[in-house]
Amino acid sequence: MNHAIISCLHANLPAVEAVLNDIDKQGIDTITCLGDLVGYGPQPNEVVELIRKRGIATCQGCWDEDIIDGLNACECSYPSQLAERRGHLAHQWTDDQLTDENKSFLASLPTSLRRDRLLFVHGSPNSQHEYLLPDMDAFAALERVETAGADILFCGHTHQPYVRELRDGSIRVRLQNAEHGNDQGEELTLPMRKIVNAGSVGEPRHGSTNATYVIHNDATDEVEIKEVDYDVDRTCQAIVEAGLPEVFAWRLSHGFEFAEQAEDASHVCER
Amino acid sequence: MQSHQGKCGYLRLDGYSSDGLEQVSDSGIDKAFLKDQFPELINLSDSHHVSRSQQGDLLTLIELPQFQAPQHAGLTGIDPRVKNQLETLQLHPDRHLHFGRDPELPNKDTLEFKKLESFSLSLNTSVWDPPSLNTFWFELVNGAYGDVYRAKGLMNLPDGRSIFFNWIVSQESSQFLPLQEISDPNGRPRSLSELVVQGKHLDCLRIQSTIDLCLLNDAVLEMHQMPLRGQQKEAIPST
Repeated sequence: MNHAIISCLHANLPAVEAVLNDIDKQGIDTITCLGDLVGYGPQPNEVVELIRKRGIATCQGCWDEDIIDGLNACECSYPSQLAERRGHLAHQWTDDQLTDENKSFLASLPTSLRRDRLLFVHGSPNSQHEYLLPDMDAFAALERVETAGADILFCGHTHQPYVRELRDGSIRVRLQNAEHGNDQGEELTLPMRKIVNAGSVGEPRHGSTNATYVIHNDATDEVEIKEVDYDVDRTCQAIVEAGLPEVFAWRLSHGFEFAEQAEDASHVCER
Repeated sequence: MQSHQGKCGYLRLDGYSSDGLEQVSDSGIDKAFLKDQFPELINLSDSHHVSRSQQGDLLTLIELPQFQAPQHAGLTGIDPRVKNQLETLQLHPDRHLHFGRDPELPNKDTLEFKKLESFSLSLNTSVWDPPSLNTFWFELVNGAYGDVYRAKGLMNLPDGRSIFFNWIVSQESSQFLPLQEISDPNGRPRSLSELVVQGKHLDCLRIQSTIDLCLLNDAVLEMHQMPLRGQQKEAIPST
């Protein structure tokens, strides 16, 4: 059966509506959302209320977490002073706009969802703030999936969709016993694992302005990355009218592949 | 200039207003960059050095801002006012080539526009957060603050380095050239730092406000520099 995975909605109502329409047209009933319902975009209440109304299973993203817990992440959260200051402006604006009811909803979200051998998280099983980039060291990537006890890990956070298959994985453990002067080794061969990144509905950064999401068939394990056109200008206008930094609208209207990245993207935030 | 065996000189001429358009004042970026690359560079704009323009092996780079291509080809195309300036320095050109007209020169760096907006900002003593500078420059040259045709600047980094940023719309990417002279990572630098942007529909207020978000305050600058000073001390051998 096909099911859909969406992520990083970022308070962009036209994009969310377009993606949900696209999913509905295909007759898909099961949708999982990987968080970041708010942040950067101009319609945080509208997006949260739409997800609530549709009863979409959702895990908490880093922006959702920050709105509830406050900006107490360590410095790793922002790759630059500029990103940090803009992020704080957007955080404050979002915090002012969100109703108490919608904040309570964000606070109630789990950090992960599991269905059998499928695990759904925002960033990684370790943290909503950790980036699983497509070129991450293969051993580290495999370790994230394996220790979480999943065959397929669905994530978002990077805003760049990808499917990464980790084949022929093995972990070798070797103990040197000084007393007896011999090596004892054991090698575990791992079955194929997969990381599927759903990209972003509300703030795509994959070189196009189209929103992205993923369809997975749980019988065949086939994965399809879908792109959906939406009214970008409407969102950009709303960003400017809301008084959010205009550069957010500019970034959205170009879908630049460029995104600031922390020096060590896999660093786990120590709150 | 790099391949020239003899001495090198630099002369910046003022240029003239035309059709109601005024020349912007010289930022000094080019002179500062060349002086860093060629410490023995003779500045012929300085009247003390005028007599040196006659040294036989002197190669002089003359910079002259113009709004449009000269009307006539060859030596007759030189503005008489410019000729006067050159004669004062006892410089007598034997050829006159112009970008965009004469095939001996590359055509790709020629920009043609009727109305040019210009924004310049002194950044002396300012120090950038490096990843923020990277983001700002990307946004600037990709049109986040208007259609930028030309941008250049000398930018200070917390480790004492100064980088020459150079962008022309007709080129594929920016140049980032580090200056040879590096300041001690000890407070704010004293070398020239400036940004000049030319284009259309420039949103100067947003450029300025973004830059404000990128510059380091004293406390953060000290956080960057303190460990670097420690490394310097370790590098000095004890006697």
